[in-house]
Amino acid sequence: MNILRLIIDYAAAFVLPLIIVGFPLYGMIRKVRVYEVFVEGAKEGFNVAITIIPYLVAILFAIAMFRASGALEFLIDGLRPVLSWINIPAEVIPMGIVRPLTGSGSAAIVLDMISQYGEDSILVKMAATMFGSTETTFYVIAVYFGAVHVRKTRHAVPAGLIADIFAMFAAVYVVLLLFG
Amino acid sequence: MLNYIWGGLIVVSLIFALVGDIRDFAADTYRNGSALPVEVHFSDGYDNDARRQDIAVVLDSTVYRSLYASSDKPASRYDGILIQTERGRQLRFADGEKLPEPLATIRSSTSRRSDDLAGAVTGPEPPVGANQWTTAMQFEPVRWVKLNAIAQAAIEFAETAVTIALSLIGGLALWLGLLKIAEASGILYALVRLTQPLLRPLFPEVPDDHPAFGLIVLNLSANMLGLGNAATPLGIKAMQELQTLNPVPNTATNSMVMLLAMNTASVQIVPPVLLVAIMGLHVNQLFFSILITTTLSLIVAITAAKLLGRLRRYRASDPGATD
Repeated sequence: MNILRLIIDYAAAFVLPLIIVGFPLYGMIRKVRVYEVFVEGAKEGFNVAITIIPYLVAILFAIAMFRASGALEFLIDGLRPVLSWINIPAEVIPMGIVRPLTGSGSAAIVLDMISQYGEDSILVKMAATMFGSTETTFYVIAVYFGAVHVRKTRHAVPAGLIADIFAMFAAVYVVLLLFG
Repeated sequence: MLNYIWGGLIVVSLIFALVGDIRDFAADTYRNGSALPVEVHFSDGYDNDARRQDIAVVLDSTVYRSLYASSDKPASRYDGILIQTERGRQLRFADGEKLPEPLATIRSSTSRRSDDLAGAVTGPEPPVGANQWTTAMQFEPVRWVKLNAIAQAAIEFAETAVTIALSLIGGLALWLGLLKIAEASGILYALVRLTQPLLRPLFPEVPDDHPAFGLIVLNLSANMLGLGNAATPLGIKAMQELQTLNPVPNTATNSMVMLLAMNTASVQIVPPVLLVAIMGLHVNQLFFSILITTTLSLIVAITAAKLLGRLRRYRASDPGATD
C-alpha cells in the first residue's frame, strides 16, 4: 500500500512540469510553431475569465447573504436532531452543509474544528474527509457552465447535490470504519 | 432548479434577517439606551489634562449577564483608552479585544474606523489621581443588524467573485495556450484515441475521435492529482469542446451534466492543496478515507447524472434529443 502512495506522490509532483515542458517540446519535434500557437490559445484566457464573472457574482452573493442572515445556522440546527438519529455526529453537520456552498467557508470550519477538537480527533478526520472528497458544487457550476454561457443547467444541480449528500454520509461511516 | 435555489436563497435570507432583527427589537437584545456599568482602572492615576490615557476596563460578570441576559462571560479585564475632549469623555475598548456577545455585535455594527468599541461616559468625573473609577458606558443604538449584514455580505461577495474570476486569467491563459500546442502537435488526438473506449459509455453523445475526450481526461486527471489550479482551465476547455456539439447553446447537454457531476464529486487521489495547507502531514492518515469516499461519491454522481437524465422533464429539455 505504501508503494502505491509513493507512486501517486511522485506522479503528482512530476506531472505538471512534465506537461508544461512536454507539450511544447513535443510540438517542436513535430515542427509546430510553438510560440505562435501558444499565444494564439492563451489570448482566450482573459475572455473566458470575464465571461464567468456574472455567473460567479450571482452564485457567491446569494450564498453569502444566506450565511449572513442566520438561515444557514437555522438549517444546521434543524438538521441536527434528524441526522444524529442516524449516527452522524452533530459537530460535523456544519461541514456537510457548507461544503457544497463555499470553499473558503468550509476550509474555515476545518480550521475551527482543529483548534477545538485537535488534529487527531475523529471529528476532524470526518470533516477533513468530507472536505477532501467533494468539491464546492455551486462554484463549479458557476465557473464551468458560466464559461460556455449555459444558463439552463438541467439535472446538474440535483446530481451534484445527491453526490454531496452521499459523500457526507460516506465520509462519516468510512472514517468510523477505518479509525472508529 | 438553479432558478428556484437561487431565488430561494435570496428570499429566505431576507426573511431570516427580518425575523432576526424584529426579534432583537422586541427583546431589546442590545439594550439600546441603557448604559453598561464598568469599572475603570488607571495604572498611573487619573490625569484630568490628558487627552488620552491607557486604562483597563473591568466588567462585573453578574451585572453584565443580567443587563444583557447573555450567557457569554466577560474576560477578567480589557485594555482600553479614555479620551477626553470638550464634548465629553469617551471610553474605548482596544482594537481587536475579544468581546462577549452582544458587545461584539454592537462593536461590529457601530465601529466605523477599526475594530474598537467606543461608548460615551455618563456620570461624574473621577477624582484626580484616582486609581479606580466606577462609571457607565453608553453605546450608540444598534438596529437592523441582520439586514445590514446581508446587504454588506452581498456587496462584499460580489467583489470577491470578480477577484476570483480575475485570478483565474493567468492559469487559463497558460493552459489554453499549452492545449493549443497539444492540439496542433497531435498529442491531444493520441490521448483521445487512447481514452475514448473508457469514456464512451459516460459520454455517448460525443462523436468518435472528438477532442473533448482528451480534455475530459486531462481535467479528471488533474483533479485526481489534487491540481486544482490546472483542473479548472482544463475543465473549462472541455466544456467549450462539449459546447461545440450542443445545438441549444444556453442549455446543458447530458454530457455537460455528466462532466460537471464528475467534477463536483471530485475524484481525488491526492488530497487538495488547500487541505494539505490546513492540516500539514496529518492529511496523510486520511489518504484512504478520502480515496474510498471520493470513489464512492463519484459512482453516485455518475449514476445520479445518468438516471436523472432519464426523467421525463430532463429528457424534454435535452438539447441532444432527436424528436
